Amino acid sequence: MTEPVIVPDIMRMSWGPQHPMSGQTRILLDIDGEKVHRIIADLGFTHRGIEKILENRTFLQGIIPVERMVMADTPNIGLGYVTAIEEALGIEVPERANWIRSMICEMARINSHLYAFGLQAESTGYFPAVFLWTTVDRTIILRLFEELTGARWSLNFFMPGGVHKDLPKGFEEKVIEGVEYLRRRFEEYWVAMVENATFELRCDNVGVLKPEDAIRLGATGPVLRGSGIPIDVRKDEPYAAYGDLDFEVITESACDSMARTKVRYREIGQSLNIMEQVANEIPSGPIRTNVPLFARAKAAEVLSRVESSRGELGVHLFTDGGMNPYRVKIHSPTLRNMYVFERLAELDEILVADIPVLINSIDPWYLDSDR
Amino acid sequence: MSEADVVKAIKANHPDLVVSAEVLRSKRISAVVKREGFIEVAKTLRDDLGFKYPVSGGAIDFPKEEKMQMMYYLMKPDSKFMLIYKVDLPRDDLKLPSLTQVWEAMSFHEREAHEMFGIEFEGHNNMIPLLLPPDWRGGHPLRKDFKEEGSEE
Amino acid sequence: MQEETKEIRRNFESVPGSGVVYNVVDYLLGWARKYSIWPIHFVTGCCSPEFMQCSGSEYDMERLGVLPFASVRQCDCIMVVGVVSRKMAIRVKYLYEQMGEPKYVVAVGACPTGKGPFYDSYAAIAIDEYVPVDVYIPGCPPRPEAIIQGMMLLQDKIKKEKRLGVKG
Repeated sequence: MTEPVIVPDIMRMSWGPQHPMSGQTRILLDIDGEKVHRIIADLGFTHRGIEKILENRTFLQGIIPVERMVMADTPNIGLGYVTAIEEALGIEVPERANWIRSMICEMARINSHLYAFGLQAESTGYFPAVFLWTTVDRTIILRLFEELTGARWSLNFFMPGGVHKDLPKGFEEKVIEGVEYLRRRFEEYWVAMVENATFELRCDNVGVLKPEDAIRLGATGPVLRGSGIPIDVRKDEPYAAYGDLDFEVITESACDSMARTKVRYREIGQSLNIMEQVANEIPSGPIRTNVPLFARAKAAEVLSRVESSRGELGVHLFTDGGMNPYRVKIHSPTLRNMYVFERLAELDEILVADIPVLINSIDPWYLDSDR
Repeated sequence: MSEADVVKAIKANHPDLVVSAEVLRSKRISAVVKREGFIEVAKTLRDDLGFKYPVSGGAIDFPKEEKMQMMYYLMKPDSKFMLIYKVDLPRDDLKLPSLTQVWEAMSFHEREAHEMFGIEFEGHNNMIPLLLPPDWRGGHPLRKDFKEEGSEE
Repeated sequence: MQEETKEIRRNFESVPGSGVVYNVVDYLLGWARKYSIWPIHFVTGCCSPEFMQCSGSEYDMERLGVLPFASVRQCDCIMVVGVVSRKMAIRVKYLYEQMGEPKYVVAVGACPTGKGPFYDSYAAIAIDEYVPVDVYIPGCPPRPEAIIQGMMLLQDKIKKEKRLGVKG
């Protein structure tokens, strides 16, 4: 009696833009049974041509399209562009404005990491519970944003020279109340997600990225710090008020998806500490230096880097003496991490069922890689 | 090593291939290289000077000086310096050997520079469009003389 | 395409009182359809977090019957949420053709309406060049209350549709 022979056969599966878990991209997988041989990322579904648009806007008008690169994390992106403009125009920012900027950036980081948590939970089957918990917890931060600026997501609050408006009366107390509420919910998330046996089964040892591969392939953000490498722009080149604030760079040594989730989780804890420090110790003073509405910059070349929640965002700004920039080159963190995602199929054994967990541990936002 | 030491080392290793190298500000170094020695200087940067961490790549168009400049961004993981590695290309001869043979993560950035500016990279193993739609009717959007889609031949 | 100008042949038209029966059936069908609009779970651009926040606990869209559903063939609405580039618009049209009648399209945000803040971009398009749109919801991003008001406008539109009722 002969045994049935299973012939290995490669099938190309297209996991397209209309799928509850894929986001706005198409991922092509070459699979043989359950094993994934090759991953190809097809980007460009949300390409808007932001770099070309910015050449037709003045410096102040350009903040609006740039902030819409990552909707969950707009203050960090706006800060990258605004610090580049300030360096090109030679403007000094007052101290109170820097402290307000740090607080708003950390609130946005919590917002974005909670969103990543919700998607990670949705991909492991916890959709009704943890994903909807995160929508409730994000309303705390969105209501604070709305009270301060009027908008929930795309704040457009930073301008060259400082911030737009001062903190309203009683805002610091509301921030501290919000921090205490989020700290209690924080412990519930740890028990529900990280210490959960089902979650550990799905996330441990999935997508192991060793430290030398992470450096060689150009990973950034929590993907890099989850492999044990402590590179964080807030500590390497302190901008805003991060030089005066007290926080740690979080790294984990396990290098798998669970490590990246834990890095994001503990970064939320650090952000809550920073918010509390700013609310208690913020200095008083002016919030903005006056910059003319149609400012002109002399011919210069400026590269500014900030740490957004997905990784390092760089803005390389070329000016030529006019009111518009000559060229803006934006370094997108998601584009770098998507290259790492493509190469993970060769570095580690990945099964088809691991792909949603893996891609949400890398936390891409495709509007950022497509610009 | 400080920034000035790195600049001196770059100039000392290949004095005839490096056009200029300077410190822009704290933790930013810029180096302009000739096209012929482009890959050789890149290998020295990766192996001897420790620039192992690729960051990004992009190009810029200078129509008044009849040239385009391709820029690569590299970082040294221990001292956290950022090097902007530039090479000038004449506007009527936009060919460059691909830098994926030294840092393979530059693959996506070279694909984007190809479709946005029209620079051809020799030796790239996957030169297909990255961001533009597959039925794009021609034209390189980020050039300064781009009017609209399909306006070039 | 929904063509409301089609003349529907009805039996028993000459029987007195048949108009009442047709109007009652029409009303019940409209009531059933408007309280169970199932959009495709498909977000194209940056308004997506606001759409997900709208399905959350504070502004619950599911109490109106709006449940994002994964399979295309069982949905009756596409909500085009956010910027549409040409590569994505081809997919939107493909999905629109796969849905069964009656089907509706809602453009959420300023970008699918008329390109929004990217008005001079070479890559963004307005979605009504590809599919016919029923409701436009402006905003960048629109507030959840605006999205819910847009869905209620769509419900009004469904209520007023004539399916079997007597014309005139």
